Amino acid sequence: MIARTMEETRDVLSRTWSSRGGLAGWFSITTHQEIGKRYITTAFIFLLIGGIEALLMRLQLARPDNTLLSAQRYNQIFTLHGTTMMFLFAVPVMEGMGVYLVPLMLGTRNVAFPRLNAFGYWMYLMGGLFLYAGTFSNSIPDAGWFSYPPLSGPQFSPGKGLDVWGQMITYTEISAMCVAVELIVTIFKMRAPGMSLHRIPMFCWAMLVQSFMVLFAMPAVMLASTVMLVNDRTIGTHFMNPAEGGDPLLYQHVFWFFGHPEVYIIFIPALGMVSSILEANTQRGIFGYSAMVLSLVANGFIAFGLWVHHMFATGLPQIGEAYFTTASMMIGITSGVQIFCWLATLWTGRLRLTAAMHFVFGFIFIFVLGGLTGIMLASIPFDLQAHDTFFVVAHFHYVLIGGALFPLFGGFHYWFPKFNGRLLDEKLGKLTFWTLFLGFNLTFFPMHVLGLNGMTRRIYTYPAEMGWGPANLLATIGALVIALGGIFFIVNVLRSRQSGAVSDNNPWKAGTLEWEPASPPEKYNFELQPVVTGRYPLWEAPEKRAAVTGMREDRREVIVTSVMDGVPQFRMVLPGSSIWPFLTALGFGIGLAGSVVWFSWYFVASALGMFGLIGWFWPYEPGEIEP
Amino acid sequence: MIHQSAIDAAGRQAAQIQGLFWFFIVLLGGIFLIVVALMLGPLFCRHRGLDREPLEQTHTPSIETERKLTHRVGWATGLTVLILLGLVVLSVSTGRSISGGNPPANALTVEIVGNQWWWYIRYLNEDASRVLVTANEMHIPIGRPIVIRGSSHDVIHSFWIPNLHGKRDLIPSHTTTEWFQADHEGRYRGQCAEFCGLQHAHMALWVVAETPAQFDSWMDLQLRPAPAPSDAVKQKGQRIFLDHACVLCHAIRGTTAAAEQAPDLTHLASRSTIGAGTLPNTRGNLADWIADPQNSKPGNHMATVALSREDMPPLLTYLESLK
Amino acid sequence: MMSARSLDLADLPVYSISNRAPLWWGQVMMCAIEGSMLCMLIAIYVYLRLGVDIWPSPGTQLPLLTLPALAWVPLVISTLGSYLASEAAKKDDKRGMILALALNFGMGSLFLVFRFAEWRTFNFTWSTDAHGTIVWTILFLHTFDVIADLLMTLMLLIIVASGKYGPRQRLGVHVDSVIWYFLVAIWLPLYAVIYWGPRIIGSP
Repeated sequence: MIARTMEETRDVLSRTWSSRGGLAGWFSITTHQEIGKRYITTAFIFLLIGGIEALLMRLQLARPDNTLLSAQRYNQIFTLHGTTMMFLFAVPVMEGMGVYLVPLMLGTRNVAFPRLNAFGYWMYLMGGLFLYAGTFSNSIPDAGWFSYPPLSGPQFSPGKGLDVWGQMITYTEISAMCVAVELIVTIFKMRAPGMSLHRIPMFCWAMLVQSFMVLFAMPAVMLASTVMLVNDRTIGTHFMNPAEGGDPLLYQHVFWFFGHPEVYIIFIPALGMVSSILEANTQRGIFGYSAMVLSLVANGFIAFGLWVHHMFATGLPQIGEAYFTTASMMIGITSGVQIFCWLATLWTGRLRLTAAMHFVFGFIFIFVLGGLTGIMLASIPFDLQAHDTFFVVAHFHYVLIGGALFPLFGGFHYWFPKFNGRLLDEKLGKLTFWTLFLGFNLTFFPMHVLGLNGMTRRIYTYPAEMGWGPANLLATIGALVIALGGIFFIVNVLRSRQSGAVSDNNPWKAGTLEWEPASPPEKYNFELQPVVTGRYPLWEAPEKRAAVTGMREDRREVIVTSVMDGVPQFRMVLPGSSIWPFLTALGFGIGLAGSVVWFSWYFVASALGMFGLIGWFWPYEPGEIEP
Repeated sequence: MIHQSAIDAAGRQAAQIQGLFWFFIVLLGGIFLIVVALMLGPLFCRHRGLDREPLEQTHTPSIETERKLTHRVGWATGLTVLILLGLVVLSVSTGRSISGGNPPANALTVEIVGNQWWWYIRYLNEDASRVLVTANEMHIPIGRPIVIRGSSHDVIHSFWIPNLHGKRDLIPSHTTTEWFQADHEGRYRGQCAEFCGLQHAHMALWVVAETPAQFDSWMDLQLRPAPAPSDAVKQKGQRIFLDHACVLCHAIRGTTAAAEQAPDLTHLASRSTIGAGTLPNTRGNLADWIADPQNSKPGNHMATVALSREDMPPLLTYLESLK
Repeated sequence: MMSARSLDLADLPVYSISNRAPLWWGQVMMCAIEGSMLCMLIAIYVYLRLGVDIWPSPGTQLPLLTLPALAWVPLVISTLGSYLASEAAKKDDKRGMILALALNFGMGSLFLVFRFAEWRTFNFTWSTDAHGTIVWTILFLHTFDVIADLLMTLMLLIIVASGKYGPRQRLGVHVDSVIWYFLVAIWLPLYAVIYWGPRIIGSP
């Protein structure tokens, strides 16, 4: 072993973990921080696009018999809005936060499969570009974000729009599955020595549960959209064609088997974020850690048993339906336990009302309201009135925006100094919160009333005599207020990056490991990998803190630990930069895109992907052979 | 203003659901307020005993505090479980009460088939001569259960009259069943509630609930074939109808027109709207509709029939006579 | 960051060709994904079957039994090849790895030959009826995965044979066996559903 000073260690580590410069270097990066930031930035851009689509919808609906958008245009826009928000924003942004934060929280230097990480990002980016390229070439899907056949089938939606929609899902689901696999393995096997499973941060538990859910839910949507729908449309399969033994309802079952877990996939990471923010801003560990973990896990399981509640109006057997009502209500227990534990933490901590905490309060308010309307919807008689009306639109925006977006924005305000080295402006952050909170409630609360008063979903206009005009106008004004909140946030980010207050490594005095390195961290995260003796390493007494020595810094070395107790087992050398993930994704991407025109391009995709994978794994560098 | 509302019940199913709804609002609204109060509490009670512990060092409150909290969270969870179980029982029993088991015996059965973007309606009857086919507007007697047997001719639609009951999807190759009963006379508007394409927004349905006597006379009238044209203008109008593409899709009983691709027009003039609730049924609107169906409902499947200016007035007069 | 104590891990080995390796775990997760998809296809098969009275539609013959039954022979032998390759990888036995990988690749390819021959006997395509759709979908997906893994095995064989390999590549050989075990194991329920299901659970 070469004895080095800390200064020399830092230099060697910097060199080991840096990437080549230039364009080729940029495409070859495999460090998790950079890839995490790419996910978050790209997802944010899609959030803005989805938001503009929402504004267009709201402007059209502001008045009865409005003519701003034609029926076809409106239908395309609401389809793109839902698709963009669900597939191109909500899941990827949570993945991005996970990819960035999890290795830091676990005390390691990268995710377990750095090249897979890069590949996943490129697939996601290409999926988004593919959908919008279709938009620019007038192949625009217009059958809603869940595209039920027969409407979305070959007879009633000719043209390529729905094929583009179905195929885009392949890209985003492959991306999600890559992140899920690498996060599971990182969380299980690459923790700081001494970090038993019982000591990992709540956010890591959330990402672990979410990743397992992705593994079992995403294949269903691949089947529903890419296999069943696109093949029925293009090569004459009969999954949903009753004339040859198929059934339109089959699509709904398979889609919602994915679709219900999907919303929990989006919001479970947010629950982890709430715990992180709350711990730092109350200066205590979360109350009821074990109960919280059990709730998250139970939530993950039960979520797979609810899907039929999206289909109560389809006339399924009553006995089966009663089971789904029960499960749909019982999942309220898992959310309830978490809310109670958070309230307990709030009551017994030293509360600091930062901008991030405002978003946590906003989350509790909005999400609980949304959860309660969810309990109402679980009741079949009521659901049969409210299903497919604006009541449901209100419900899911309350749970998704309240349950996922507010914690996410809280997370942005909380972790911004870690990502960027500067703090966001607190005052502007609180203004952002109030604007978003008031705008959100102004937009979506009236929709409960609209739904009960008969306004169905997905209508491009409505007659004046229905009396829906005033509430719709209020909702549109609210949407503009939300947009204003978004502008405040963007201004805050842009200003703070240049001239925000400089942050030290732990501005919030939090207890978890991501706050140990400098802000922003070096590419290697920790100079010496930490050894952990408790759940909140940074709150341990200084004399109890320990670090790992004896690792080599001249290659990307990490420690592999046991699953339960975090006992070091062996070392692993992670790959460095590589252009192959990008090239492989490009190959698959081109092939998948071509396949909406010619089926045989699936084989082109496979062949190009194969070549990419060969380049990826071929041991052409000595370091690949002799570690 | 039209009250197409789930909380303005005119029949027993809708009324029970409405009752359930208000119960939910009171109970769950109360729970919401309690949670919000608990959430805001710490903001106003920052110097309570519980948090006067040296958190800067320990970052965990005392064992005493944690025990107290465990009790409270435990009780809250237990209460949540009980409430949710209660709501399950309430929901399931309400569901059984409004639509459990088999359809009631003395029901009037109506077949509804969804089409892009109109409603095919057929009153079933053991007596074949009393089977009525109509479209977009249905009359029902109050105080008698109505069984809907639903299906679709093309994509998935959903039959929904909120004042009377929840919705039922209309799915091609399936038959779905629902029953409801109106208890108050009135005219109730419903709307397709499953996105079915371009003009999903303009697929409304009117249900007229009337006394059994009124219903019987309506049914008798509807079962008669279309009144024969009583003067030369109407005769000319009928001739125009039969000579143009209209007959390829529309039926008028009593003439040779018998197609079922589009709404049955036998008693068109007895309906209050045209285009499945899109426009009031007036002479002017009918003229606009026939001259250019794409104007009011772009994308709908009615072809534009080329009619000369002289042909339109007699055609309208004829159609207006189809009471 | 200076710390008071340190944990010296200089003696920790650099690789572990075993089930403790992250790559092994990652592969198991990938198999969970693929397994979910194939199990869901089984559920879809059952759903479609229960939705009609006559299965398959008149004029369509169920897939015949002989070739797929015979195909089990090379499949099982190929699994032995996988196992031997994995053991050889742990011991860094180059010759053992080459022979075992070749056995796996050869027998796996023979399995595919049986399968392609069987496909030529089908009198239905994926657009004949719902039965054709689901059978072809399941077979296509499983075959695609088999081909992909055989190509990966071939690549590993070439790498090992070239002599230019190290512990990372040996780990690859070990983990490659996981994929093969999965593909063989999942074939069991799929085979039962496609070939025996409709025959046992009543059909005209």
